[in-house]
Amino acid sequence: MIMEKIAELFIILILVSVVLNVSSPFLKFAIKLYSFQSLMLAFYIFMGAIHFNSINLYGSFAITVIFKVILIPYFLFKTLKRVKMDKEIDMYIGIPEAVVFAGSLTLLSNLIAQKIIKIGLTFGSFVFTIALATFLIGAMLMITRKTLFSQIIGFLTIDNAIFLAGNSITHGMPLLVELGVLFDLFVSILILSILILNLRRNVAS
Amino acid sequence: MYELILILPAVALIISIFADVLWMSYLQLVISVLIFSTVITIAMTFSNITVFLGSFFFIDYINLVILITVSTLEMFVAFYSFGYVRTEIASGISKRKFKFYYFWKNLFVLSMMISIVSNNLGIYWTGLEATTLATALLVSFNRTKESFEATWKYVIMCSVGIAIGLFAIVVLYFTTSQVYGESLQSLSFVSIMRASSELDKNFLMLAFILALVGFGTKVGFAPMHNWLPDAHSQGPSPVSALLSGVLLNTALLGILRFYQINWAAGIYYPRYFLIGFGFLTIMVSALSIIKQTDYKRLFAFSSMENMGIIALGFGIGGIAIIGSLLQIFFHALNKGLLFLSSGNVLAVTHERKIEKIKNLSNNFPITSLVLLFGVMGISGMPPFAMFLGEIYIMTGVFRSNILLGFLVFILLIFIFIGLFGKVLKMYTGNMDNAERMNELQSEKVTHRGINDNKRKKTEGSVHPFMIYVPLILLLVSSLLLFYVPPQFLNIVKSASYEFQGRIIF
Repeated sequence: MIMEKIAELFIILILVSVVLNVSSPFLKFAIKLYSFQSLMLAFYIFMGAIHFNSINLYGSFAITVIFKVILIPYFLFKTLKRVKMDKEIDMYIGIPEAVVFAGSLTLLSNLIAQKIIKIGLTFGSFVFTIALATFLIGAMLMITRKTLFSQIIGFLTIDNAIFLAGNSITHGMPLLVELGVLFDLFVSILILSILILNLRRNVAS
Repeated sequence: MYELILILPAVALIISIFADVLWMSYLQLVISVLIFSTVITIAMTFSNITVFLGSFFFIDYINLVILITVSTLEMFVAFYSFGYVRTEIASGISKRKFKFYYFWKNLFVLSMMISIVSNNLGIYWTGLEATTLATALLVSFNRTKESFEATWKYVIMCSVGIAIGLFAIVVLYFTTSQVYGESLQSLSFVSIMRASSELDKNFLMLAFILALVGFGTKVGFAPMHNWLPDAHSQGPSPVSALLSGVLLNTALLGILRFYQINWAAGIYYPRYFLIGFGFLTIMVSALSIIKQTDYKRLFAFSSMENMGIIALGFGIGGIAIIGSLLQIFFHALNKGLLFLSSGNVLAVTHERKIEKIKNLSNNFPITSLVLLFGVMGISGMPPFAMFLGEIYIMTGVFRSNILLGFLVFILLIFIFIGLFGKVLKMYTGNMDNAERMNELQSEKVTHRGINDNKRKKTEGSVHPFMIYVPLILLLVSSLLLFYVPPQFLNIVKSASYEFQGRIIF
């Protein structure tokens, strides 16, 4: 019982970090938030690992920490330093409106999740609701912000949401598949960083 | 034997890291011919579904059709690349750049092969995402601003789309894990098909819709298509041919797998989604083809239209499925020849706009004929093989709903007019008076220099392989209308049985 409460705390922190991300225009802070969010996801997986005592989930915890908490934010920081941007200026809608939208998306995903879920899940339908909300808010981040960097953050948020959903309705994907997915994600971040650098160089010249 | 499909591209990939470009181009020919002959040997001796490499990979009739398509087009592209590399290096592009060309191309082919023959849906996903990443730096090969922007759009849109596809796989995994428990087996396609009647139907339906939207982004279905024309037109021509002819089919295979699972579980209404998306795709591409001004974008939209027709055929079912499977193979050949021969024009003139290119019949006698007949073929005219696929699909559509048939027919006529009118303009068309005056004046000034320029702007300056590979593709595609090998027809027929849920393990 106490385990479930702690796991739910981690899940709530994920949602909080996503909403904070919507409300702040600072890019460095956004990367830090992403790292924090991934750490919470990893802790959630860790709680599951203790609860079910499965080696698969321990492995999943380890690779999540390595790729999502350390490697990807490290490369994003490196790219940000070379691009020399610090703040998001171009947005289609302002920050207050975006936060209101994020709240209503959370409500909407609660409604959707209650329609879909009938069968008992790992930690209840609560996790699935948060996963859907994170997914929708990540998509909103991608749509409303114009800077290329914010689009990467939005994409990473969507990816985290799918991992969360995968860990909520099942006990995590098989380790081999998860490793492949994370490696692909890591390489795509590298390629997107290369593209950002090249695009900046072309605009400057 | 079966393992060779994966080992050969991997060997090519490893060698391409170390080898010199010109050496690599010879080696690539050998390896591509070997891959082709391996696949043909498998196709000749194939009798039932085979699992290999620890049940992670398998071959059945459906992915055998796509495997034949990939290996055939890849062999022709390897021959074309042999000439392309030499021509581009002669015109002053550094050798170093082309080293990466072979590296990324082999990685692309390897990851495509992995995702085609994968039995495990998770591995299929990994391979498909890897194709996006491998082609990203090929699309931005020219290093212009437009190509970087096209690549950005391509990587971001496809990554998000495929992430939604991952969500579909997660939902499917949840459904199957109630039968098999949480293990790799619940992602294995063969096991899922065996247990299909025990699965939860609501979740299967949800998984299909997510997969359709997710992988559909990579196929280029209508509302999610706007990365496709940019990415396909910016890459080097051999890569465009592979992207358009083969990669779209690989992504379609994912949707077809989910469709098959749903069909086997007794859920029949996903077909209306396929029909709807297919029709919408044909309509959007027909309207966009009419106002195109760039000939590579024109062909990119045409391949979008053909994916729409193929999806429509799979949705209609019955005889149209045979048409769709034939269309997958014939479209790859035909689109390959269009991109390759238009690549010759691009390599010589460095001009992408349709109105800037005129009088091809004089300067490019063979290439322009191939281009003209290729456009006839791609719009389904009789002396070329795509007629066969299209007539089966259209027969199926007319049988099921006559109104839909008429609508599709009208759209196909639109597409034919759009394509043919534009290419005909490039084929004939005289220079404007003003341009001719300009040329005459400048000829008076520097007699010698303009002559050199003129000699450069014809077909003679490209490598002979670049001229004759599209021609051979055209001949093959014309020959296939009159003689389809009986073994291939057998494979296609058996594949269409698989769609009705009748799989013999």
